[in-house]
Amino acid sequence: MGIEPGRLHFSWISSAESTKFVDVVNDVTAGVKALGPNKTFLKTEAKVA
Amino acid sequence: MLAYIEKIKEISRRLLQEGNVDMVIGFRRGTVPMMNEPCFVKTPEDVDNLVWDSNCGINLANYLTNRQEKIGIVAKGCDSRNIVTHIIENKIKRDQLVIIGVPCKGMIDRHKIQAMFETEIEHVTELDDKITIKGVGFEKTLEKKDVLQDNCALCIHRNPVIHDELVGDLVDEQKNIDRYKDIRNIETLSPEEKWRYFDNLLSACIRCYACRNACPLCYCPTCFVDESRPQWVGKSIDPIDIRTFHFLRAYHCAGRCTDCGSCERACPMGIKVRLFTKKLEKDCLELFDWEAGMTLEKRPPLDTYRPDDPDDFIK
Amino acid sequence: MMKVIIINKEEWTKGLERLYDSFRLFGPVKQDEFHNFRQLTKGELPDLKLLNTRLSAKSMVYPQSEKMFEFTLDENRDEHHILKEIRKDYSPQAVIGIRPCDARAFLLVKANFDTPENKDPYWIKSYESNTFIGYACNTPCPTCFCTTAGCGPFHEQGLDLLFVDAGDHYLLKILTQKGENLIIAAGWSSKEHSDDARQEMETLRRAAEEKITARISTDKLKDKKTTELFEALFWEEVAFACINCGTCTYVCPTCWCFDIQDETLGLSGIRMRNWDSCMYPLFTVHGSGHNPRSTKMQRVRQRFMHKLKYYVDKYGDGIQCVGCGRCIRHCPVNIDIRKVCDLMNNFEA
Ligand code: SF4
Ligand code: SF4
Ligand code: SF4
Ligand code: SF4
Repeated sequence: MGIEPGRLHFSWISSAESTKFVDVVNDVTAGVKALGPNKTFLKTEAKVA
Repeated sequence: MLAYIEKIKEISRRLLQEGNVDMVIGFRRGTVPMMNEPCFVKTPEDVDNLVWDSNCGINLANYLTNRQEKIGIVAKGCDSRNIVTHIIENKIKRDQLVIIGVPCKGMIDRHKIQAMFETEIEHVTELDDKITIKGVGFEKTLEKKDVLQDNCALCIHRNPVIHDELVGDLVDEQKNIDRYKDIRNIETLSPEEKWRYFDNLLSACIRCYACRNACPLCYCPTCFVDESRPQWVGKSIDPIDIRTFHFLRAYHCAGRCTDCGSCERACPMGIKVRLFTKKLEKDCLELFDWEAGMTLEKRPPLDTYRPDDPDDFIK
Repeated sequence: MMKVIIINKEEWTKGLERLYDSFRLFGPVKQDEFHNFRQLTKGELPDLKLLNTRLSAKSMVYPQSEKMFEFTLDENRDEHHILKEIRKDYSPQAVIGIRPCDARAFLLVKANFDTPENKDPYWIKSYESNTFIGYACNTPCPTCFCTTAGCGPFHEQGLDLLFVDAGDHYLLKILTQKGENLIIAAGWSSKEHSDDARQEMETLRRAAEEKITARISTDKLKDKKTTELFEALFWEEVAFACINCGTCTYVCPTCWCFDIQDETLGLSGIRMRNWDSCMYPLFTVHGSGHNPRSTKMQRVRQRFMHKLKYYVDKYGDGIQCVGCGRCIRHCPVNIDIRKVCDLMNNFEA
């Protein structure tokens, strides 16, 4: 619908894989930070009359 | 068509006379061209009100939700698939229904046809595959195949998938139909282009909810857009709220939508709302080899889990 | 007697262009397959090749979503939790090409928004800022039944000016002082009026009225007993097909109901109102969860009883419908107010 692919991420992480979890979270946050704030799917004050 | 009407009346009369059903749900002649009105018939005498032609595009499965009576229902291909979905989702019981199957040759698009003329159409008649349109100062005969509803032109399940009676011989299914050309085109757009595309698509939406309410799948007692505790979506015509409504509704129809086209037919603003549901239909077909409402034997993909479900999106 | 003037089409266009200096101009514009009203940008002309707009002109005075107040929740600020009125542009606005039905509809709505006891400031200020330049219908639609709904294709009530396309020229009737002022702003000469012009307009009016064949009868509505109509058995059948969407009420020029909503973003917020519809279950749901109008049949009955009985009894000014036919044309399941009106008018308990 016009959301950049890098904003959404799915992973399988077992409860035993703590380091994988940390790595994935770091990667995803870095990726999203690189994209910058979402400027489209964002509601500011309602755009009405 | 005439043969269908006679057969629908004959079956309905018999069902009512023998007391097999309490009511038959079908269509009666509309008050304006290209419109028939969904109706019920409860006595053999009233059966003569029932009609059938290419203006029965509303999906009658919508009128079954949570009903308690025994019902005879006139069902074209897509209606029958939504009836299957309704049965699977416990919105009606199979043994409450006598399904009067109508092998369908497509419904005509009233919006498209009206848009061809400058003044309002006064009369529309149909004979075999020709549609004759009359109004002040014009008369024109069109080929039915040129003015079908978009979903009917692409339909590959015209015959009812489930039925107890049939009003005519099964029709040939359309072959070699490319159902997803428009969706593939949208898929190739960049995120920014997609954003703009949907902004334009929805710019005329007045949030009347005709699309949602014409859809047999949208039977939630309180739709997420109507919820107020908590309130998920704003209620004005702010474009972000309108977009949220359409995307979320489409997701709720994933794996359930039969592309019956009722939503698009109902929209007073001519918005192509099927583009949303068709994307999800395409995904369900490609990922799960699933088409909605084809069988009572299988659960739809979004309420089952199989170890071999595709998971390429998980990294 | 009111003046009728003749304006040739070239003068007409020039005049409209002059109006941008003194008015915010609105008119019908075609987008995709239908027309709707919107503000015209300088140099843009209204598209007058239309039957009628898809949505009525209601939003020219009463937008679908309209901000009323703003507020802050920031307790460090003195004015926190105080509703402050939002400044709006109520400078003169002219609506060109409004059909007579939509203009008369404003008068019906006025009965609700502008009464001696209650005055809706948003509606009134907006309404008063308008000059309505009505466009008489030479080609009414088969679904129009205005002539039996207290209106007509050349109806003048609620308009400041009425014009009609007479081939190579327009005939323009001046109905109010506001209309007179607009003529001056447009630079049209108001001299050329003559009996001929008036005659020509009369002929066109009669021709248009004769083209309207759809009729309703409303004569017996006020004598019916409300309770008996309410209990009538036909409602179940009338309501069966209805899907309870908002289409009929949103396209209608006379439906006036709204719902008030607050929205916040961080510590600041706005209060707005949005059109609402008696067809929605949410319309009457109580805080307790109880809904006095919980079934579809009750909601359908409410719409027709309000338009064709309660309004009739309360205001003594006919029905709350001007016969524009929009709800008939756009109802997805063909619920036809003409049919329901006849059922009600002919009802015997
Ligand atoms: S029917 Fe059309 S206008 Fe109404 S909510 Fe759906 S898309 Fe919007
Ligand atoms: S979403 Fe539209 S096409 Fe799909 S089932 Fe509902 S009404 Fe039919
Ligand atoms: S009467 Fe028609 S337009 Fe009105 S709510 Fe019912 S279905 Fe929608
Ligand atoms: S009730 Fe229907 S016909 Fe009457 S004014 Fe409203 S939209 Fe027009």
